[in-house]
Amino acid sequence: MKELAQVLCDEARKRSCSFADVRLQESEGTSILVQDGRADKVSASKRHGAGLRVLVDGAWGFATTNRLEKRTLLAALEQAVSLARGSKEYVADPGAVAQVPPTCGEEHTSIKKDPRRVSIREKAAKIRQFEESALKAAGQKIVNSVLSYGDSVVQEIIANTSGTLVERHTVRTSVSATMTALEGELRQTDHERKAQISGFELLEEISPEEFSIRAAHKATQLLSAKPAPAGSFPVVFHPSITGLLVHEALGHNAEADHVWTGESILEGKLGEKIASALVTIVDDPTISNSYGSYKYDSEGTPSQRCILIEKGVLKGFLHSLETASKFGTSPNGSARAQNYAYCPVVRMSNTFMEPGPAAFEEIVKPIERGIFLDHGQWGYVFVERGQYTCHAGSGRMIEHGRLGEPLRDVSVAGLTLETLKDIEAISSDFEMDMPGHCGKAGQGVPVNTGGPYVRVKSLIVGGQSGD
Amino acid sequence: MAKLLEMASLACEVAKSEGAEWVQVTASESLDIFVELAKSSLKAASAAAGQGLSIRAFVKGGLGSVSTEALNERACRKAAKEAAQMASAAEPDPDFVALPSPEDAEEVEGLFDDRIAGLPSEKLVEVAGRNIEGAESVFGEVILSGGVGLHSAHSALANSAGVRRERKSTFLGASTFAVVKQGSDVGSFYDFDYGRRLEDVALEELGAKATRQALTFLGARHPQTRRMALVLGPLASFGLLRTLAYSASAEGIQRKRSFLTDMRGKQIVSEHLTIIDDGFIPRGLYSGTYDGEGALRRRVKIIDKGVFADLLHNSYTAGKAGEPNNGHGTSGGGISATNLRPELGKMSAEDIIKDTEEGLYINMGGLGPNPASGDVSASVDFGFKIENGRLVFPVINAMVGGHIFEILKKIDAVSSDYREEPGNIMPTIRIQDVQVVGKG
Repeated sequence: MKELAQVLCDEARKRSCSFADVRLQESEGTSILVQDGRADKVSASKRHGAGLRVLVDGAWGFATTNRLEKRTLLAALEQAVSLARGSKEYVADPGAVAQVPPTCGEEHTSIKKDPRRVSIREKAAKIRQFEESALKAAGQKIVNSVLSYGDSVVQEIIANTSGTLVERHTVRTSVSATMTALEGELRQTDHERKAQISGFELLEEISPEEFSIRAAHKATQLLSAKPAPAGSFPVVFHPSITGLLVHEALGHNAEADHVWTGESILEGKLGEKIASALVTIVDDPTISNSYGSYKYDSEGTPSQRCILIEKGVLKGFLHSLETASKFGTSPNGSARAQNYAYCPVVRMSNTFMEPGPAAFEEIVKPIERGIFLDHGQWGYVFVERGQYTCHAGSGRMIEHGRLGEPLRDVSVAGLTLETLKDIEAISSDFEMDMPGHCGKAGQGVPVNTGGPYVRVKSLIVGGQSGD
Repeated sequence: MAKLLEMASLACEVAKSEGAEWVQVTASESLDIFVELAKSSLKAASAAAGQGLSIRAFVKGGLGSVSTEALNERACRKAAKEAAQMASAAEPDPDFVALPSPEDAEEVEGLFDDRIAGLPSEKLVEVAGRNIEGAESVFGEVILSGGVGLHSAHSALANSAGVRRERKSTFLGASTFAVVKQGSDVGSFYDFDYGRRLEDVALEELGAKATRQALTFLGARHPQTRRMALVLGPLASFGLLRTLAYSASAEGIQRKRSFLTDMRGKQIVSEHLTIIDDGFIPRGLYSGTYDGEGALRRRVKIIDKGVFADLLHNSYTAGKAGEPNNGHGTSGGGISATNLRPELGKMSAEDIIKDTEEGLYINMGGLGPNPASGDVSASVDFGFKIENGRLVFPVINAMVGGHIFEILKKIDAVSSDYREEPGNIMPTIRIQDVQVVGKG
């Protein structure tokens, strides 16, 4: 495949492309669904194909095919060139790529147990154990349990006309537990997910207490929790909510493509103090085995730790080859594609806030009446306004400096630049355990996020009754 | 044309011969062309040619499924054998009854347009360019993103009960997102148009429309925290209707994880709301005589004057419940709503707003409940404060909270006029007395 990729790059040069890259990919995976005591749905998928991207006179063209014969690939290259040439008239912001030395290298996930060599029956048996222990621990109130397992093995060649040639071989494994509890007419659900760059050994390292049993207990506990009050409150974030804040509110705005188009609220703010001096935020794809990690991005650029905010000052953005060129800086390995069928776009990896000096009790203590938000689930942002929403699976009232009655799931909304400045305290405890998929430009890529416990002066809580 | 059905039939036979008791095979080929806009410039033009084969095989109800992007006889035989083996490895599911049997009916008209399938990329580039020009004619410094695209597909379905079907489909559409700035003040909005036939879309005006709307969002303010009416504009109401329709999936209800579990036959919404799911609308976005499993679709009245009347079935859930399959299965075994057509009321959208003393008009989004509990805690991303029957200012950072049943029982008006996307009706809906959260 390497030779084929290089041939395609040579052919692109002959067609007057100022830049071209080729990604040839093969992937396979299995998934198993265990529900209500049965592993009755198992599946396997195989994908293969190529994505060819060309830059011709400032216009980008991209073509994909899932036929890997040379003839078809050359036709796709022709199509990409033709698409680029046909687009020139309306290109007011010409495409460009940073001129950087070519990268040659390999990335191989180090795993102990190749999921391809574990039988479906063995996988299913392990997943059923998680379900059984949860149901045994939580009792009759659990009315539906769903355990979902997935693994993927992806092999990819990335080559470009600058001479880059990278081979990536990545194995990811994930498992999630969703438990629904019922009492009377009240129905509550909780979800736990474990995912890593790992082989099947991940499942052997997971304790049911920290996974499926925890989901079952939380779902059951939520049955006695009350809806949150509505209004503005001082809030304390669990590390999972801090992770959502860091990813949604700040991270997407720090993606240089958004900054370049003028949509990001961070445009023109590099070097400015935009957050409390307590705040340092980092995106780091080099963390060993974390779900969002990689050694090379989808353009073949080596990954690196990027400091986005340091002690409250905006220090940098995440870059692709193109945005690095436009900003006159170096690419930092943040261009990622879901698979061969998509163009790489600027993305986060493992994004987190650095821990601070405080103990959790110190963070909660000054709050007379507020809300502790736990169990981050999802979030989103409108980057142009810096308006974000984060959803907590559960919470607790804070009364007179102490955690009070439990609360059901609730969302909070805020404005990024206000919230970052309103951060008053950060804990020394740190957790990054939110492996998931981030969506942007119609693509989902694996990411992780987290941070310390954080106190924010005031946020809008979407509760159910006026306070 | 014949090759896909031949391939699907072959895979069906191979999986049967390898021990599968029931088999469903889908084979497809597709072409997507997309022209992307960013920073009011054409960003990239792309083309994706795809093909694939998906096999679902059942042994004692246990499901093994295999998908592959190779579409040749050897790959087809291999995938079919593997699917049968996986089905044997899956645990038996006694609730599985059968896959759909053949039923003959005429295909809905207008789902394929060879003019769209043959549209050159240059035409999409031109439409994208017109959107930029239109947006800039409204506001010179607009930041426009989005894209124009077409999808053309040919698929074949074969199952072991004798279903053999082929269909071709096309979609053409565009979406635009406009951002406008005046100093530190930012307004933004989105618009879209999709259709299956060339004459059903008007794509060149979307940039200008989104920009005009974005300008109305300048000067946003925080609303006060208090209870007030919500008026859901067409895009927001459509979001609510689709949420309700998806919650009516029999799978979630049978598994007891949906807030609609045990609510069938009960009044869950105000009597002003009736929602019909109709997959037979000619040229409809979600139309098709047969569902993804090859079952004949039925029209379903999901909500009838506020009563949760019927749920959406696929072959599995219908068999499990011992009820007729109303044809809402997807090829992967899921359940999906089709075109949604709420019954209309008597007041116009304009009159509903005029008749609202204090409220929040929601242009898009909002009200997505927790699928299990029905609790609502959602941001109003695009909305206006209503005072004395007029939209007075755009809001920022506002939320709504409550329980979905509590909220929906307070619907007191559905408009007589509506936005229509092929096959789908999007009226304006008013809900009284909802908790709005803002500052103060």
